[in-house]
Amino acid sequence: MSEEKSTSIVPGNNELRPAHGQTAAIEIHDLVVKYGSKRAVDGLTFTVPTGTIFGFLGPNGSGKTTTIKTLLGFRQPDGGSARVFGYDIANQSLQVRARIGYVNETNSLYDYLTIPQLCAFSRSLSREWNQQVVDRYIEVFGLPPREKVGHLSKGMKSQLALCLALGSNPDLLILDEPTTGLDPLARHEFLNTLVSEVAAEGKTIFFSSHILSEVEAVADWVAIIRVGKLVLCEELDHLKQTQKVIKLTYIDLPPVSEIERLRSLPEVMSLAQEGRSVRLIAHGDLDTLMQTLQARPYALREVETVDLNLEDLFMEYMKESNNGR
Amino acid sequence: MPNWLDVNPRSGVPIYVQLVEQIKHALEVGILQTGEQLPTVRQLASELTIAPNTIVKAYDELANLGLIESRQGIGTIVVANLDGRLHAQQQEALFQRLQVLVRDATHLGISAEVLSDRFAAAKKQFYQQQYEQGG
Repeated sequence: MSEEKSTSIVPGNNELRPAHGQTAAIEIHDLVVKYGSKRAVDGLTFTVPTGTIFGFLGPNGSGKTTTIKTLLGFRQPDGGSARVFGYDIANQSLQVRARIGYVNETNSLYDYLTIPQLCAFSRSLSREWNQQVVDRYIEVFGLPPREKVGHLSKGMKSQLALCLALGSNPDLLILDEPTTGLDPLARHEFLNTLVSEVAAEGKTIFFSSHILSEVEAVADWVAIIRVGKLVLCEELDHLKQTQKVIKLTYIDLPPVSEIERLRSLPEVMSLAQEGRSVRLIAHGDLDTLMQTLQARPYALREVETVDLNLEDLFMEYMKESNNGR
Repeated sequence: MPNWLDVNPRSGVPIYVQLVEQIKHALEVGILQTGEQLPTVRQLASELTIAPNTIVKAYDELANLGLIESRQGIGTIVVANLDGRLHAQQQEALFQRLQVLVRDATHLGISAEVLSDRFAAAKKQFYQQQYEQGG
């Protein structure tokens, strides 16, 4: 991609460029967060580039929410560090929170207030506030503008939470499982607003989810966390292009030495054999791998490459006992 | 809004690659004409519910291929196949498929003669039709 064309493809808005060399929105380094003796976050390190839609994935209990709470300053880290737009989360918490809009699935949104009252309340907590933006999104979502918050459905509360989070004009939106409880139509509306309005403004969106399909549709980057540790952090496109299943069919039953040879190849992440059929999960330089496979002493009847989607990749990484990438 | 665009986020093929392929195809079959305007990044993101960065990537790729161009104040426009580049690429892709075909034939144990015979028969069938149509 040629950098010179950046402003011309999207007139006047550089911020849609992938974040090569730009400031990181979030930088997490060796983060440790403990509950008692248990490490909910266990030496986590990754970076969220500015202007991206970043999907934070992991099974329930993997440390996603703890990570988010720590970024927001609700928890102090027990080790390591993190920065949001350069501000330290541990001792520059106010500056951090001023740049963030937070949407939580269990937002306590003061059920007894009406929406206008809640807006006024949120405004009072924010350094800058744009009620017109909030009103616009309330309308986009079709929320009843004068309703009591307590009368809204769970899904509508999520949508309202997003509206309010945008009112303070944050540079970074952090969403924790935001579409839980939303029916498919409402979920689509929510995601669509995120991509066509929020991301298009150049804001960074960091959202945790265990719904792979929606992450797959909108995320530029994904990070997978498991038992408090990072499994991978990569551009989604790059992940899909460099990780494939390769199915080999040998003419004769391959000997153990051949299987060991395959396993030892750097591009081979995992291998399963059933008789003459071998299934590899491969990553990295697939061209080199294909050449190596072709130049084998044991004759292959067939070599087939299968693309992996996010769900396939996720399952594969969850199976891995040693997460060596 | 292009109703012929259909991306599948759940595919193993990256979304931007799907976009590039589909827009290229639209050009090949004439759904998109020279001078036509493509949707803005924002419009397409909203239409397909995908990340704007993904669309930027696709548009960048298409621009690098010389198929589209951004014009100040107008938007993103389809430009003519510069120097028949698209056609040359299609030819190249076809010849690569030919290589694979012949290689697969050897793996299947098909002899060179049988392959030649089959090829000649196919040529006769399709190029003959061309002559008859005056093409």
